[in-house]
Formats: sequence, structure tokens, C-alpha cells
Amino acid sequence: MAILTTVGLMAVPSFYDFAVQYDISKIFVLALLALSMSFLWGYVGILSLGQTAMFGLGGYVYAIVAMNSVDTATAALIGIVCPTLFSAVLGYFLIWGRIGDIYFSVITLAVTLILEKAIRATSGDRFVIGKVRLNGQNGIPGVPSLEIPWEAKATLFIDGVYYLTAAVLILVYVGLRLTLTTGFGQVLVGLRENRRRVELLGYDSRHYCLGAFVLAGAVAGLAGVLFAVWGNFVGPSLFDLDRAAQIVIWVIVGGRMTLAGPILGTALVVTLTTWLGTQGVGQVTLALGAMLTLFVLLFKKGLLPTLSELLSAVARWAASRRAAR
Amino acid sequence: MSAPILETRQLSKTFGGVKAIDRIDFSLAPGELRCLIGPNGAGKSTFFKMLTGQHRPDGGQVLLNGQDITAAAAHEIGRLGIGIKNQIPDVFDGLSVAENLTLAARFILPKAAAARKVAEVLARVQLEPMAGRLVGELAHGQRQWVEIAMVVAREPILVLLDEPSAGMSVEETARTAELIREINREATVVAVEHNMQFIRSIASRVTVFHRGRILVEENVDKALSDRRVRDVYLGRSAA
Repeated sequence: MAILTTVGLMAVPSFYDFAVQYDISKIFVLALLALSMSFLWGYVGILSLGQTAMFGLGGYVYAIVAMNSVDTATAALIGIVCPTLFSAVLGYFLIWGRIGDIYFSVITLAVTLILEKAIRATSGDRFVIGKVRLNGQNGIPGVPSLEIPWEAKATLFIDGVYYLTAAVLILVYVGLRLTLTTGFGQVLVGLRENRRRVELLGYDSRHYCLGAFVLAGAVAGLAGVLFAVWGNFVGPSLFDLDRAAQIVIWVIVGGRMTLAGPILGTALVVTLTTWLGTQGVGQVTLALGAMLTLFVLLFKKGLLPTLSELLSAVARWAASRRAAR
Repeated sequence: MSAPILETRQLSKTFGGVKAIDRIDFSLAPGELRCLIGPNGAGKSTFFKMLTGQHRPDGGQVLLNGQDITAAAAHEIGRLGIGIKNQIPDVFDGLSVAENLTLAARFILPKAAAARKVAEVLARVQLEPMAGRLVGELAHGQRQWVEIAMVVAREPILVLLDEPSAGMSVEETARTAELIREINREATVVAVEHNMQFIRSIASRVTVFHRGRILVEENVDKALSDRRVRDVYLGRSAA
């Protein structure tokens, strides 16, 4: 199934034009962001509403470093390292402070909103890093795409970005799946199930929570870098409440207790949002809100777990019919 | 007499003006199998939670093999070898029985050795046929066994069992008594219990708690026939 999906995704550029590839690449990048949240929320039980903080930082750091004439591969690396370090520091204070789960969500959300406000306040000549003006709420346009290492002065075009984002999404998905099968991953799942029992067994839950938070921060930072590469633009909306809230919707719709679900959820909701936007509905947010309510009421576990339960129920029914004959 | 494995000195805990644990001096010899009894609200579970870092004492000391663990966190106490089965089964409901035990065994053993340990413990608690089932789908008694098995898989030196036979059938209770005696061959055991028959079948010495204090500490027959003990169980105030 996974191989078929991979082959199918890799074949898309042969059949569809740049516009479609461009739209799908965006879904891949945002799905990475959703993965970073669902890994934390669905497997460790930590709801971080501030994954956009790492996402935005990743994008901004990449843009600033790349536009200061550093090669883009190094810029991308720094763009991932900075949000990873940031999440380590933030996570340390939140987790060692042993604050409650709700406060964790609220504080992480506050952090992303503070970063958004801070970036919005950087208009004017004074706010320049190297050669790059931060431009406040107008954002930074003209962010370079990634250079192709084996071709001088060539950068990734839309199809290249498509392949890159698809490959990264697949790698991160597989990587997170493998992480969950390790001893570290099993303790993370234990934390979601029963944090007290994990502690009573002798595990220091703080180390594991921080490890997961940093890993998720790195994935969100990577998504931010790719978002800047994809759109050639970064702006304060990378950090904003709209996006922070949308990730929750993607994850809930797809099913937070799976890793594939949030990817599906992102694809579905982002496509639907774009489609609603072109249909002149006007109140896209309202429509999304109604959709979320519907999902929470009808598919409590999310789309993917519900579908797989349905499929196994059908399979059981078919098997019992065969046995009856 | 050998030095105690566990000792509390003047251990105290107050919840909103109520003295849940009131200056308790408790001592346990290595290898002992002790039962704690007392009416509901006597402070038995609170006492266990203070021994395992789940509640922080307001005063007094807890010593494990002479080492002061009063201020230690739950995970540090777990590492020192105290294992606890809480009153309400504290298990990983969304994981299988084998995964529950693996999480416990992996803390002390590498992967292959942990797998052997899990198989051995599963056989001991007779949960082999359910190894692949989700713990949340099991009956109450079986979930209690899973929790006891997790504690055992960690190879503790001191095992605290809070109402191990609660909600079990007669056969399950008998099997649990047998299991506790088995555990006691390798570890010191303290069990909180209400089932008097069960207590007689496992323990030789009993500590009776009442209103956060130790009322009586005697061998099992003497303690259970003590007038003061009967009085507190019947709701009469003890002299």
C-alpha cells in the first residue's frame, strides 16, 4: 500500500501540470507540520499549539540565511537547527516546570503568537539582518529556492520542489514510524497511556517528553524551511492563530492516533479550503468550523481510523458470509 | 534482627486540615510479607503513595535500606527497586499485555533479555493466552494481574500491592495469593487488603491503620481477634 502510494505520488509530475504539482507540494509541506503535531499529541499525549512557532522560525531563518549569500543547503540546515534548539529551550522550561497539560497548550500557543507580533513589529529600515530587511507584516519576498548541488547556479523548480517535498514527507513519516518502534518510542506511547505508571517503572518522563518535543520541533522547522522554498516567501502569517488552529483541524479530521491520518486530513481540508475559496462561499472559516464539528461528532477517532474500522468490519462480515455458506 | 529494608520515621501528610498520615513509625524486615489493614480512609493508600513518591510527605522520613528517599521523585524510587500496584489498576490500556510487560522489563534489561523476561513473567501470571490482547479489553482481575506482572518484570526488591484481590473471583483470589507468595520468595512484600481470609492465607504479620496512625501491629491471628481492630471495622471508636 505504502509502496503504491509512493509510486503514485512520484508519477504525478508526468501527468499533471505545474499548477497541480504546486498545490500538492504545499499539502506535503503542511502535512509535515501536521505530523509534528500528531506525533506529539497522538503518541505522547502533549498538545502543543505552538508548532507554528518552529514552523515560522524554520522559514524565517532559512530565508534570512539564504538571502545573505550563504549556500541554500547550509541555510536549510541552519533553518532546521534553530527551531530545534528553540524547542529544546522552550521544552526544557515547560517540561521541567511540570506544568499541566492545558497550560502546556496555552503557553505554546502564546509563544507562537508572541513571535508573530514580534515579526509584525519589524517594519522599517532598522530591522535588517545582514542584507535582509524583515519588512514587518509584509514579509520577505524573493526567498531563493534550493540550489541543485550537481548543477551550477540552478535552483529547484516547481517539479523539483514537488519531488523534494514528497520525498521528505515520506522519509519523515517512515522515520517517525520507526522511532515509535524503538525503546524510546515505546516509552512515548506509554506516556500517552499512563504517565504515572511510566514514572513508577523508573523512567524519567521529562527526558522522554523533551526528546519528543524537540523531535517534533525539528520536523516543524523542516516544514518551515520547505514552505519558504516552496513559496519563495515568508511572512508573519507562518506563526499566526489561523494556521495554529488549522493544524488542530487537520489532525482531528485525519485521526490523531495515527501518523497517516493527519496527512490525509491535511490533504482533505487544504483541498476543501481552496475549493471553497474558489466557489464564492465567502465564509470558508465558518464552513470549516461546521466540518470540524461534524467530524468530532461522527468520526470521533478521525477519518482514517474510522475507515479502517469500517473496512475490517466489512471484511469480517464477508468472512462470516463465506463461512455460513 | 537484620536492618530494616524499609523504615518510616514520624511520617506525616495532611490534606486540607485532615491528617491522612499522622507521625507513622513503620519498619519492615527484608523478606517479610506484611499486610496493612484498616477501614476505608485509614490512610493505607496514602501511605503507599508517600513511599513511592506519588505524594510528598509534610514531615518525617522514608528510608529504603537506610537511604533517605523522602524527597525522591517517583521515577527515582522506581529505579531503587520499589514496585507498586496501585488500588485502581494503573496500566497501559491501549497497549497489549506483552507490550505492557516489555515496557517494564526494558527498563532494566536489553531487548533480547527483556523478551525472555516477559515470556517468563507471562507464564508465571498465566496470562500467556492473552499476551496479544489490549489490556483495556481485559476483565478487572486480569488487569490487576497485568499490573502485578509489570511490577515483577522490573525485578523489584520491595513490592507494594494495594488491594491485589479486589474485585476478583474466588479462584482468581486463590491464584493471586499463590502469586504473592511466589513474589515474596524474591522480594519483600507489603499488601493492603480487606479480605481477611486472603490475609490469613498470605501474611504472618499485620499492621492495622486507623485515622492515619498505626493502631495495632501483631501476628495475623492476634491482630484479627484484637477487640480494638474489630471496633474500628465496626465503626466504633477505638480505645
